[in-house]
Amino acid sequence: MDTTLLVQALVSGVLAAGLYALVSVGLALAIGVIGIVNFAHGEFFMVGAFLAYQLFVTFGIDPVWSLFIVAPALFALGAIIYTSTIRFVLKAPELNQMLLTFGIGIILQNLALLIWGGDPRTIAGITYRGIGYQIGGVSIGLVPLASFVVSLVLVLGLYWMLARTPLGRAMRAVAQNRTGAALVGLEVNRVYLVAFALSALLAGIGGVMIAVIQSPTPVVGFAFTLKAFAIVVVAGLGNIRGILFAALFVAVAESLVATLVPNGDTLRNAVFFAIIFAVLIRRSWRTA
Amino acid sequence: MSASTRTRRTRPAQFPWDLVGLVLLAVAVAFAPDLLKALFGRASVSYLSIATNALSLSILALSWDVLARTGQLSLAHAAFYGAGAYTTALLARHADVPLWIGIPLGGLAAVVFALLLGAATLRLRGIYFAIATLSAAEVLKAVVHHLPTGIAGGNAGMNVPTLFRPEFIAGQMERWEVAFLRNEAYFYVYATLLCMTVLASILVQRSRLKHAFTAIRTNEEVAGVMGVRPARLKLLAFVLSSVFVGMLGGVEAHRVGSVLPEQSFSVSTTVLALVTPIFGGLYTTLGPIVGALGLSSVQEGLRRVFSDGYLIGYGVVLVLSILFMPRGVVGLVGGLLRRRGKREAGR
Repeated sequence: MDTTLLVQALVSGVLAAGLYALVSVGLALAIGVIGIVNFAHGEFFMVGAFLAYQLFVTFGIDPVWSLFIVAPALFALGAIIYTSTIRFVLKAPELNQMLLTFGIGIILQNLALLIWGGDPRTIAGITYRGIGYQIGGVSIGLVPLASFVVSLVLVLGLYWMLARTPLGRAMRAVAQNRTGAALVGLEVNRVYLVAFALSALLAGIGGVMIAVIQSPTPVVGFAFTLKAFAIVVVAGLGNIRGILFAALFVAVAESLVATLVPNGDTLRNAVFFAIIFAVLIRRSWRTA
Repeated sequence: MSASTRTRRTRPAQFPWDLVGLVLLAVAVAFAPDLLKALFGRASVSYLSIATNALSLSILALSWDVLARTGQLSLAHAAFYGAGAYTTALLARHADVPLWIGIPLGGLAAVVFALLLGAATLRLRGIYFAIATLSAAEVLKAVVHHLPTGIAGGNAGMNVPTLFRPEFIAGQMERWEVAFLRNEAYFYVYATLLCMTVLASILVQRSRLKHAFTAIRTNEEVAGVMGVRPARLKLLAFVLSSVFVGMLGGVEAHRVGSVLPEQSFSVSTTVLALVTPIFGGLYTTLGPIVGALGLSSVQEGLRRVFSDGYLIGYGVVLVLSILFMPRGVVGLVGGLLRRRGKREAGR
């Protein structure tokens, strides 16, 4: 076995884990605080990516700067979707909530397919995309490295926000006991709104990064919904703190399979599903 | 429970609407092709194919609903469909098996997969169950995708011989009538499959299984205490829910003439399987069929107006159904009728 190849796979996996954690932490926030299993989460990610693409094509805005446009836009989109739909199914059966978000996902994805078509879109001609560093035969691209750092900062920032700020405390209170939180004077609905919009915002920022790292198609959203689910499930539904480690585990596993298994590249998605399935089944039978 | 301990049913005999409905359905589909031909002539060829799609959607939706009655919201129906399609295709390709064996074996393959999946997921509920079934379906898709090309064709899939090649007899028929005869034959196969699915659903609804399923859905622990056997019945629901979908996959493989991993295991099959009963009305026999007819019509309409993006329509239907009629078309209409009945009784 070639050690360099192995190290390269590990490094790529760790770098990818940052982005995965960023996207998954938003999903975990929606599940943990609001109790909504959002099947449209990856579509926020996709919308972020294509907004960045469109901003670049139409106005020539560099993705680094479009982050500051996409983030508020996605926050607004999340808020609109929460106010117009999610708000009404908070007490509905789990199935209805799930299917509602499924429907929203279908709408967003197909709208994007209608607008941008099914071909991969590349943000062409950014100078920093090609920059990379060589350390002992292992190459590290500037863009994946930067996305890792930014993601890590954002995820840790969210942890800090949840732990230390009044808003974070409100979110934890609402998550623990909705009625109790309302009784002590918290505006539960507003906390939900902010949590959902924030979750969309985090996904959107991830989307901008993927638009630079890869050449995404509108279907990328659903793929990332599933990846985020894998990570959230490994961490345990509603467990926000475990996300970082779960993301690391899942991303490294994906990267190793893609590198070590011949033709492994197309098996990537199967890795996610196999992990989700195995973890869920194992947990269900263990706690007898 | 033995038969001797069973108490006699004392509830008043009700008019068997469901069985009458099934007979009416059978009669309607028996005459539909000739009626279409008489009414529309040449255009009936494509109408017949649209009607066949509607039948296909009905089978899928009703099968999904049978499993949902036990509270198991499957996202694996694409896998049942794909397992049937691939089994039938493999048998046709490598063993040259005649279709009347190949298609039931497709159903059998779906049942085997469903039983394995059902046994593994017995302890999962709600969203965990949904995610686990979705994952299992995607894993199966990847496995099929990566089977050696010599066996299942890999990414490119396989060709499947089309059935029903009626001969063109010059002087006795027109060209389009050949296509009509072929579509008619497929239509009858699908109709038979639908009637079988409807019969299975009616048998569940008329027997004590209906109450057992409802009990499991409402509260599995309580159901267990009351003497219902959740594990056994949940697996039974898996069997009933997968067998016809597997056979449908097999027939459809022949009709389309090919199987592909992305097409036979498409997530959209799963989406359709669950959107349709929700739109029509869950946990009933009528609901999924009404939903299938409604959605097929909507889809045809949308497809004519917009060439792309008609899937957006599905998303909108799903969102609106959940927000404004969580009990589906059948529930909405039933509620309206009952309210009117009460008003008239009060007068």
